[in-house]
Amino acid sequence: MKPHIDLGLLFSRSGGYALMSEASRRGALDAISVCNASPDCAVAFVPVERDPRGNVDLYGPLCADIFTTSRARHVVGCVTSWSRKEVIPTLEKHGGTLWYPVPYEGFEASDHVVYTHACPNQHLLPLLDWAMPQFGRRAYLVGSNYIWGWEINRLARERVIAASGRILGERYLPVGSVEVGRMIDEVRATRPDFILNALIGPSSYEFLAAYHALGLQDPHFRADRCPVLSCNLTECELAVLGDAAEGLIAAGPYFQSASGWPKGRSDFASSFEAAAFVAVCELARLLSHTAGAMDQSLVQLLAGDQAPGGVVDRQTHHTTLPLLIAQVRRGAFNVIQQRAAVAGDPYLARTRAAAPAARPLRVVT
Amino acid sequence: MTPGVRIQNMGGAQAVILHRPHPNVVALQRQLAAIGLQSTECWPDLDPGVMGADFVFFDADMGHDDQFPWPAGAPPMPMIALIGSEAPGRIEWALRAGAHAHLLKPVLGHGVYSALLIAREAFTGRLALGAEIAALKARLEARQTIVRAVTMLAARGKTEDEAYAQLRQMAMAWRVSFEEAAGRVAGRSMPGKDGDDLCIRR
Repeated sequence: MKPHIDLGLLFSRSGGYALMSEASRRGALDAISVCNASPDCAVAFVPVERDPRGNVDLYGPLCADIFTTSRARHVVGCVTSWSRKEVIPTLEKHGGTLWYPVPYEGFEASDHVVYTHACPNQHLLPLLDWAMPQFGRRAYLVGSNYIWGWEINRLARERVIAASGRILGERYLPVGSVEVGRMIDEVRATRPDFILNALIGPSSYEFLAAYHALGLQDPHFRADRCPVLSCNLTECELAVLGDAAEGLIAAGPYFQSASGWPKGRSDFASSFEAAAFVAVCELARLLSHTAGAMDQSLVQLLAGDQAPGGVVDRQTHHTTLPLLIAQVRRGAFNVIQQRAAVAGDPYLARTRAAAPAARPLRVVT
Repeated sequence: MTPGVRIQNMGGAQAVILHRPHPNVVALQRQLAAIGLQSTECWPDLDPGVMGADFVFFDADMGHDDQFPWPAGAPPMPMIALIGSEAPGRIEWALRAGAHAHLLKPVLGHGVYSALLIAREAFTGRLALGAEIAALKARLEARQTIVRAVTMLAARGKTEDEAYAQLRQMAMAWRVSFEEAAGRVAGRSMPGKDGDDLCIRR
């Protein structure tokens, strides 16, 4: 009989970004049942679940609760960067590890966190480098008012300006707010070439619906002329968006039925399920190889890992991911660009700056 | 110092860690590698290669002045103190040694990136201030020369204001600073002597 190992799950099952956390949770549970049933996997996981219900103040205490009421030392969870930063002190105090399975803004490499989804050199920068030659270099930036929105837009601003482009506007909404009128008015007035959407949850849904309506009035604001780009939009939010999703362009390591990553499977509903699945499988692999691995810190686990197949970089705690760019057409993502897998580079230390584009020629009248 | 490392990109910068071998150094080196810096550790002496480094991390607990091959408190690169004991004497020494930022031990998985950025900002700020102060001092020292030059021009029948304006015109024509022009005018009356000599002789 395999040893049973407690594994914390810290996902919000309600609140503004519940669709994303439900998708991640499904991926983790899927991996747990695969591991538990597989004779090749030397351990079996027992999920220890806590639900912060989208309340950022509950993440730290509930994470501590997992560590103090169970033998779990590893937790899969968190969606927002805000909540991840809230649990890091708890992880340090208890010697625990967070497996963080969603795209984020980079600039972190905690001793106690593994990042199994994409960071900006794996989503935002290649997406902008692809989009600017296609659509133009005049961007409008929208985001939720917390670190994801701020940092994604800060990087975008730098990248666009480095390519001789312009930022026509930048607006933020508090998480959960649906007051998108001002943003839409500014977009209508400035007529950008593309919009970068770093909003999350209901703010994003409302903005996309209003922008879709604007496109019906004025052809400039349709996807072929001025698309909305996103680094965290996946299949898990398409149903709630309906027609408003048509034409959206997103970057990510996986879209439905893409092969290549995760290795050997292409049946995940979205990259959120896939990245959480990879996190649990990699943890199972690490725990399988060493006696007493259960009580080791993440740094010790990675340092002692001699077996083949490891996916976590020991320096950055990030993983190597392919980059797909996909567009929503008739309700489903269609991959339009596929790039080779690239290692996560959270501090953009190894990522070459975009070649400055030639100044675009303008018609002088 | 490698100029122009962008705020979010430290890729390729060099760090030297002056600390005895310790798990804190291992944790620090992993963070530095993730951020994109190359790091070397040394103890108790700084490697001669330190002069080419972009950052120095130094042990505030066991460090001492003789470890640094530059004038006390005037490091040629940003310095980050690794502080374990927060004893006032040790903090005082770390500041005297020229710390631009600090990290508390034990070194955990955070704090390194902000320490790098803060230290670099403080270092370039101090450098710019130092240059500005030196320039202001030089101008202050040239005041006597200016008075002398204006007096000499005024002695040829001009008012003080006219002499002042003439000196300004000369500086513009020669494309030199006002102080430099004053030095030339004051020096001209005594061939072979420059303005500073004139001032000293007064």
